[in-house]
Amino acid sequence: MTVGMSAAADILGVDGADHLDRDRSGGAVLQARGLCREYGTVIAVDGIDLSMAEGEFLTIFGPNGAGKSTLLGMLAGAMRPTAGSVSVRGQALSSSDTDWRHRIGMLSHKGFLYGRLTVEENLRFYGKLFGLTDLDERIPARLEQVGLTRRIRFEARQLSHGMRQRLSLARALLHDPDVVLLDEPYTGLDPSAASVLRNVLDELKDGRRTVVMVTHNLREGLEMATRVAVQVAGRFAWEGDNTGLGRQDFERHYHDVVEGLP
Amino acid sequence: MSTYLTQVWAIVWKDLLLEIRSRERIAAMGAFAVLAGVLFNFSIDTTTTRPENVAAGLIWMTLVFGGLLGVGRTFHLEAQDGAFQGVLMSPAPKDAVFLAKTTANFALLYAVSLLVLGVFSLFFGLDLGQNLGWVVLVLGLGSLGFVALGTLFAAVSVGTSMGETLLPVLVFPLLVPMVIYGVGTTTRLIDGRPFNEVEGNVRMLGAFALAALAAGAVLFRFVVED
Repeated sequence: MTVGMSAAADILGVDGADHLDRDRSGGAVLQARGLCREYGTVIAVDGIDLSMAEGEFLTIFGPNGAGKSTLLGMLAGAMRPTAGSVSVRGQALSSSDTDWRHRIGMLSHKGFLYGRLTVEENLRFYGKLFGLTDLDERIPARLEQVGLTRRIRFEARQLSHGMRQRLSLARALLHDPDVVLLDEPYTGLDPSAASVLRNVLDELKDGRRTVVMVTHNLREGLEMATRVAVQVAGRFAWEGDNTGLGRQDFERHYHDVVEGLP
Repeated sequence: MSTYLTQVWAIVWKDLLLEIRSRERIAAMGAFAVLAGVLFNFSIDTTTTRPENVAAGLIWMTLVFGGLLGVGRTFHLEAQDGAFQGVLMSPAPKDAVFLAKTTANFALLYAVSLLVLGVFSLFFGLDLGQNLGWVVLVLGLGSLGFVALGTLFAAVSVGTSMGETLLPVLVFPLLVPMVIYGVGTTTRLIDGRPFNEVEGNVRMLGAFALAALAAGAVLFRFVVED
């Protein structure tokens, strides 16, 4: 049992422990079992189990260095776990079969953009890598969604940070993935850009996508989430359903969990 | 067009477009080729040395050193904003990525190799005559073998703390067969010998290029996967 978990249950009115072990494998879209990642002697992710159904939105909070980005990297298939496995709709993320890559879209710290390509060229390039054939319709629709239609001829390097972030989101969603992974999407965004991002993320909650978001932004993270987890030292120190978690209560609880661990 | 070819072409197109817009590599390689030609021209005493005897070796050395300038930076534009990770996270097979990067590098290096040939022909007064086409073919095969190995090892070196300085150490020993056959063949062709005299060497160069391509296509995924 994780330190702080009992107190958390009292404060928040949910039992986090149950959620760590519950079996959702029947309809699981995204599933991780015993996920570990070590960098030499440093253990970044230490045996995380995760099972997410269609339409769920998990927000992962945690201090810097908790292994959140590493976890997302493994869920995205960008890095190989030291131990454990990840599957999407029952298909293991193996390097030999790339079908599962069509089902995952990731917005990372890095935008995965080419600064000297235009907005349209960036999307067209990634679209072709994903084997998309309807790019003439799909690209304008995505740019409309993220509010970049008027910047279609701009080179990516000419865009502000917020616009680049929106373009990265359009790139991540271009192939209409089942699983969307978001790593600190609100970092460095002004209120206007954050608002656009919030609207797009709201649209993702359409019941057919599964979203995992890592963020330090408690307000945005709680507002979006159907489930919440706190990751500390490579483990989920707490996890529970978001049944109207109040920000202030959760903030107190978050500090209890983070500071209560050795 | 199959999805595989579409993916290959998308990366080739992107790499060449980025090069056209940045001119980073082609300018460095082109300038090196011209300057090397000028310096070698002044370094040889033509009253004691026949230019035809040394031109082939100098052409190939210029190609190898100049090529390293460009091939070594293959993944630098990709590294900005983590773009290459985005490519690796796409469904494009890793061998398709390798073949595409190699093709784009080949286009650049082959253009430079033709420039090198032109520069040395000018400075050394080479008369290639009817062997011009064969020399162009030989340089093409050499360029292909070189970029196949260079692209693979550029991916290795970019992930190390030594970076580009490691690349020559890794690549040069493997280029020895290519240089031996390439210089020998080019020397004879420049000297006006018939093609059938060097046909075996040309086949060896072709085999070297194909072997390097195949090895690169197989090994690339082990280099780039985390």
